[in-house]
Amino acid sequence: MKKKIEVSGDLKEKIGLMFVLIIEIAIFSFMNGNYFSAANAKNILVSSSLTGLVAIAETYQIIATSIDMSTGSVAAFSGVFAAMLLNKGMNPVATLLFALVAGGIVGVINGVFVTKLKIEPFITTLATMEIIRGFAYIICDGKAVYISDDFFINLGSYQILGFLSIPVLVLIISFIIFGIVLKRTCLGRSVYVLGGNKYAARLAGLKPNTIILKMFIISGVLSALGGVFLAARMNSGQPSACDNLAFDGVTAAVLGGTAFSGGVGTMLGTVIGVFIIQCFNTGLTMMNVQIFWQDVAQGVLLILALSFDYFRKQRRNKKLILASENSK
Amino acid sequence: MADYVEFKHIEKVFPGVRALKDISFKVESGIVYAFLGENGAGKSTLLKILNGDYMPTSGEYIINGETEHFSNPKEAIEHGVSVIYQERQIVMDMTVAENVFLGGWPKNSKGLIDYDLMNGKTAEIAKKFGININPKSKASEISIAYQQMVEIMKAINRDCKIIAFDEPTSSLGDEETEILFNIIRSLQSEGKIIFYVSHRMDEIRQIAQKAIIFKDGSLVDVVDVEKTSDDELIKKMVGRSLGDIFKELKRNDKIGEPILEVKNLTTHYVKNVSFKVHKGEILGFSGLVGSGRTETMRALFGVDKVLSGEILLNGKPIHPSCPTDAIKLGIAYCPEDRKEEGILPNMSVGTNITISVMERYKSKFGLLDFGKENKTIQKNIEDLKIKTPQQETLITQLSGGNQQKVILARWLETNPDVLILDEPTKGIDVGAKSEFYKIICECARSGKAVIFISSEMPEIIGMSDRVIVMKGGKISAELSREEANEETILKYAMVSMVS
Repeated sequence: MKKKIEVSGDLKEKIGLMFVLIIEIAIFSFMNGNYFSAANAKNILVSSSLTGLVAIAETYQIIATSIDMSTGSVAAFSGVFAAMLLNKGMNPVATLLFALVAGGIVGVINGVFVTKLKIEPFITTLATMEIIRGFAYIICDGKAVYISDDFFINLGSYQILGFLSIPVLVLIISFIIFGIVLKRTCLGRSVYVLGGNKYAARLAGLKPNTIILKMFIISGVLSALGGVFLAARMNSGQPSACDNLAFDGVTAAVLGGTAFSGGVGTMLGTVIGVFIIQCFNTGLTMMNVQIFWQDVAQGVLLILALSFDYFRKQRRNKKLILASENSK
Repeated sequence: MADYVEFKHIEKVFPGVRALKDISFKVESGIVYAFLGENGAGKSTLLKILNGDYMPTSGEYIINGETEHFSNPKEAIEHGVSVIYQERQIVMDMTVAENVFLGGWPKNSKGLIDYDLMNGKTAEIAKKFGININPKSKASEISIAYQQMVEIMKAINRDCKIIAFDEPTSSLGDEETEILFNIIRSLQSEGKIIFYVSHRMDEIRQIAQKAIIFKDGSLVDVVDVEKTSDDELIKKMVGRSLGDIFKELKRNDKIGEPILEVKNLTTHYVKNVSFKVHKGEILGFSGLVGSGRTETMRALFGVDKVLSGEILLNGKPIHPSCPTDAIKLGIAYCPEDRKEEGILPNMSVGTNITISVMERYKSKFGLLDFGKENKTIQKNIEDLKIKTPQQETLITQLSGGNQQKVILARWLETNPDVLILDEPTKGIDVGAKSEFYKIICECARSGKAVIFISSEMPEIIGMSDRVIVMKGGKISAELSREEANEETILKYAMVSMVS
């Protein structure tokens, strides 16, 4: 018999989000005939892959009342790092592994600062964001690193079954795996519990520090993975890439129902949130909207997401109060 | 002439249940009558009869000399009776004023609804009773507490002579409760007859002058609240005094060897604490607030740092550095403040029960076996009689007593050898308290060592095999069951033992 975590499994919210997504696609399709096409769908999926991976990580973080702002820098660094390793002759698989480990190490650093030095996650990861970004520029002397390795180039463009590229496949698998972990494992449950009441979690025998550390490692590895795929797609490691990545990931998660106050959120919601954002961005690009307006749009989307969050919280509290009376 | 209501031989029979048996009493205006009694004793049933929701199987009720017979709530309201339930009966989409005048919106000369009159009168009532509310606000926009006040204003507007409150403070904070009490006192001074149903003794003492006590459908007594002690009230409600409740408990008479020994324990909060607990024993920890009882236990549980001294479990020294360690060693600590330290507010009842042992339900690939887990949860719900609609219900939707049962279930699931309970029955009604005492005695009988911290004298004296009294972070006295009485305990709680 399946069990739901009642607060985060609010079906009505998910349906509402799907509705928003559908209306969005409808509007853009109306404005540009090419929008509703297989080619564009592929396009959107591919461009979702990086944001999607980071959104997964941020979902975990935000549920546990934490956050990781360094994801963009880690992604850029990994892309540059991988490109440089490849050019030095390392084989692609090892390169990928090294890049992921690098991301994991940043995660450990973030985790240690948050748990041992007790610095707020937002501040800590802002700092590492700057530091890692700096290193991204340092190791490549400020210049983009071009990739000539065939395997890697294929990684970005090869299509399985004719339409699924590898980054997209990895994204889908990640959504599924991390979604299952969130719902059905001790780690996933611990993430929710941490977001509900950290002190009570500790008294109940959970180890908050271990959980936080694991979450930051996940964050680092997923960002690195996304960064490597991005570099593969662009055929180069760019130290300036992924400026807004953390921002995008957080917006997607919050839009999808992950409450900023913690303790609430689902992977399914985040998936829909990611697509709402990516469809939006792609739509604006297809309408030849200047790239700068996309920044404005992103900001507005985040405010919208936070407003939804606020209203949802009000609704949730009301439901709780009404329910607690009726149960007497 | 002052108002009065008289119940004469009221009987109410449902299929298989005699809910009310021969209820007869008379009440007068200007007095607040508390209805006391356990759940199912008949208080709400009588209110429903007065309200017109039910009709008595036999008997009658007389209001101001007229024998009444309400066949529906509308008739009751027309005759000046209003019952304010916990479930809001206001219309969310309408404004405060529209709700206050529900059923009788005034019309102006043109035949349209006279909003000015409605809003004006509503504002008047609000001002008179000190309710800070805007007549034009929509009912859905105001807090639950104020929605309740709208209902009261409705009753006032209808000039109801008899107003009954059914557990009105269960969702109110302290400030809001004060406002409610002021309203009730105003109504009282206007000569209304007020019925107040509640479990909360302290509130009843604040607001009611007389108490009408129900038990199993019968009227036990009508007493003056001031002249009757809590214990006497409980005895009438439950049929046994607290002392009887404790006497009836099946205590454990097979106390084993010491399992936990604390030697000269010093932390930042306590100094040189030494004591032993035996298997199957209930060791009471008494003392004033801040005396160091909770702090001692936190050291045992790995929360506070041990500066010096030893903790020996089964003779071997242990150094729990976090609750996880302590739980593995077989120590469980049920915290004092369930709201801040116990419940996981965003999780279900089921998860709150299994959280400390969720590793047990890991199966393939590390995924949790929900089927197995649900069985354990169900067993706990049944064994501890936890009242919850479902396992998946959010824990915050349960009453305080049931929440506490969930937390207790959590700790019992860890199968501890030493069970530490910090004020386990705080904020719980008398009926539920006795259920806890039974469970705790069962734990002792099964061989667990139970440490029982409580600030309620009757509990400590009634439950413990031995009592340790703490004062100022140190142990002040150790008393046997025979030695432990209220005077002695207080003496040591307030004066340090000077040797």
